[in-house]
Amino acid sequence: MDPSTNKKTPETSTSKYVISRRFDRIFLEIHSIYAFNLRFFKEVFFPPYEFKEIIKQCYEVGVRSLPLISVTAFIIGIVFTNQSRPSLRDFGATSLLPALISVAIVRAMGPLVTAIIASGRVGSSIGAELGSMRVTEQIDAMEVSATNPYKFLVVSRVLATTFMIPALTMYTTFVALLGGYLNVHQNELTTITTFFTQVFDAITFLDIIASSVKSVLFGFTIGMVGCYKGYNSSKGTEGVGKAANSSVVTAMFLVFIEELLVMQVVNAIRAV
Amino acid sequence: MSTADNKRSVLVGIFVLVGLVILVAGIFMLAGQQKRFISSVSLKAVFDDVAGLKSGNNVWFSGVKIGTVKKIEFYGDSQVEVTLSVEESAQQYIRKDAVARISSESFIGNKNIVIEGGTQKAPPVQDGDRITAVNPLDTDELVETLQKNNNNLAAITSDIKQLTSGLTKGEGTMGKLLTDSTLANDIGAMVANLQQTTQNTARASRALNQFTAKLNTPGGLANQALTDTTVYSQLRSSMAQLQEATNSAAALTENLRETSAKLNNERNAMGVLLTDEEFARNLKNTMQNLETSSEKFDQNMEALQSNILFRGFFKKQAKEEEERLEELQKQQ
Amino acid sequence: MKKINPNINRDDKVIAIRGLQKAFDDFEVLKCVDLDLYKGENLVVLGRSGTGKSVLIKIISGLLQADEGELNVLGEDVNNLTPRQMDALRLKIGFSFQNSALYDSMTVKENLEFPLVRHSKQMNQHDRDRVIDIVLEAVGLSQAMHQMPSELSGGQRKRIGIARTLILRPEIMLYDEPTAGLDPITCIEINKLINEVQRRFNTSSIIITHDLTCARAVGDRVVMLLDGEFKRQGTFDEVFATEDERVKAFYNYNFID
Repeated sequence: MDPSTNKKTPETSTSKYVISRRFDRIFLEIHSIYAFNLRFFKEVFFPPYEFKEIIKQCYEVGVRSLPLISVTAFIIGIVFTNQSRPSLRDFGATSLLPALISVAIVRAMGPLVTAIIASGRVGSSIGAELGSMRVTEQIDAMEVSATNPYKFLVVSRVLATTFMIPALTMYTTFVALLGGYLNVHQNELTTITTFFTQVFDAITFLDIIASSVKSVLFGFTIGMVGCYKGYNSSKGTEGVGKAANSSVVTAMFLVFIEELLVMQVVNAIRAV
Repeated sequence: MSTADNKRSVLVGIFVLVGLVILVAGIFMLAGQQKRFISSVSLKAVFDDVAGLKSGNNVWFSGVKIGTVKKIEFYGDSQVEVTLSVEESAQQYIRKDAVARISSESFIGNKNIVIEGGTQKAPPVQDGDRITAVNPLDTDELVETLQKNNNNLAAITSDIKQLTSGLTKGEGTMGKLLTDSTLANDIGAMVANLQQTTQNTARASRALNQFTAKLNTPGGLANQALTDTTVYSQLRSSMAQLQEATNSAAALTENLRETSAKLNNERNAMGVLLTDEEFARNLKNTMQNLETSSEKFDQNMEALQSNILFRGFFKKQAKEEEERLEELQKQQ
Repeated sequence: MKKINPNINRDDKVIAIRGLQKAFDDFEVLKCVDLDLYKGENLVVLGRSGTGKSVLIKIISGLLQADEGELNVLGEDVNNLTPRQMDALRLKIGFSFQNSALYDSMTVKENLEFPLVRHSKQMNQHDRDRVIDIVLEAVGLSQAMHQMPSELSGGQRKRIGIARTLILRPEIMLYDEPTAGLDPITCIEINKLINEVQRRFNTSSIIITHDLTCARAVGDRVVMLLDGEFKRQGTFDEVFATEDERVKAFYNYNFID
């Protein structure tokens, strides 16, 4: 046995952990999440820029999500409008329906629905893709070929979701309002001009800003969670499945938390 | 990774977690303590009934949101003390005699507190001041009042109905007035007369108008006369004199009439004229009267020339003459 | 049995490892490793699964950090390199992964272009195509250029993997289980390829394997990793000329009749 090996043993037995093995693991995980996020901001501003990969990912995240988003947003617009009508009718205020759905969709549902669909579609695919790349050592292969895998894989994907989710949110909002319009038109015979005039009367600039900020945050979260889970997935095919699954669950959870926090901040701003 | 690195990572992890917790807590505090960063003063008001007012509801002053309800507590037997948090910037506009009233943001919406009234005489409120509370006009009371109004309206309409039906049946003075046809004819005639009178009046006033218009024509003689107040008083006295003259003339005519009547009544005119002493005396009187009256007329004319309308005119003429002379003198 | 490469320069150590230690949690994988790799040499590291063979070459290529010990690669102290210097060093090291690690989402050509585009920026498309042709020809898979990795067999994937590492002309080749999961005939082809690469591109190589056929076919020198330390080293025959039960068991297990 080597003397250096013996030297190590007493040290490990006395103070190897700050708190305990279990708590240390939790804090190590937090540290690694923190470091992973920090690395994004360190790397995003410095060359080389993987423009081709960013564009490719934007296409994946944005364009390929359009059919699903379109159908979902449209249905949500119709259903929400239809379900809101009875309670407004009780006050004889069905003419306020466009204002109501405008506020609901622009402020909350547009960003939230987009984020949830994207978590499911984009988050899981990023988690699974990076997870399988980790498992099959593709990430290591990039690293040993002196290509920064973080930059190529993580930065490009996180940028793609950060740019595309807000764009998708705007699209979702519009399609959902369109669905709402069709339902309102069918029942109250409101014209499209009146409808959209009411829609824009009901919302303020702050609503649109808050909605955009929120969706940027959601996009970043979805990309980041998917990448983190995939990038750090455990070995084996099971790790891939776990990475995909926990990407979706964690991203959705964080999206709701962020929604709550942003709402608090926006309300505080609105109150001033 | 060595143990030391590991430990460092764990510590960073703890630090990050603590930071996150503080951030989240901060955001919730921010939302919970709306406007806590704006310095505010607190005002109190005691209500009998706050009608569902909650802490956090808005406080309005002149239609501007100036704060929120901070606290609602029971006070005394059954009253409620409401503490309002009001922006410091609005403090100077609220006077000590302002009143707080509970109102609604809409018919079904949230309650709020409206501060109103207050006069410049009273000083601005201070932190912790209590302002007078006006108890709320709640929805029930409103409906009750509306009901009272409704009842009153119903009573009024029934009265009016009765009245109009009486009128159509010819009852009462007004009814008679409206239904009696002879009276109507009389009134018709009366109206016709009135109309004529009015027409006459109109004509007269038209004439008068024309006259006054003439009078008003600037530079006109009459205008000059009328605008001068001294002229007016003189005019008045001249008129009086004219009246006197007329009276004298009337007396003369009367005497003449008497005389002629006597002439007719006596046996023969010439005989009376020649023989009757009385007649002779009368005649003499008459002649005297005539003499005095003509003398007075002369005087009148003189007065007219010197005193009345034309005096100003003559004066003016004299003045112009004077000016002309002065000018001549200046030229020389 | 391999004929020992005559070009080996025993005075030129491309890799020198002294007292290397690596532990995962409480499990010490590498206890105290000393290893030299000479210029032009094919060094085979034998050992059972989980003995830390892969960990060793991952430490050499900088994928893992050693806990203790000196590690000198091509004259550079790996433990004290900036990320930029590490990347520069990595370009001189080729790493052939156990599962080839081809990028699934790219064609064979794109896989080969991937390092080229990033590290040989002065090359134009024509030059790149020529280099790709050369390495594909070297691994004998010119026809697979436009296929996707999923369409290739295990042996072909391995060859493309080797081709991808060769494309940057590394001085050191690290092979992680080059013959694992392949049929015997393909194994022999891969062994031939490894020797071909050594000769043609004049590389020094470390070959990690538990396959004695492979070890015998490609190794100029063989070391045996047992309990986190090198127990035996020498030529293939020298290593197994021992009474150590564990080494004998390893030998017998591989050549069971």
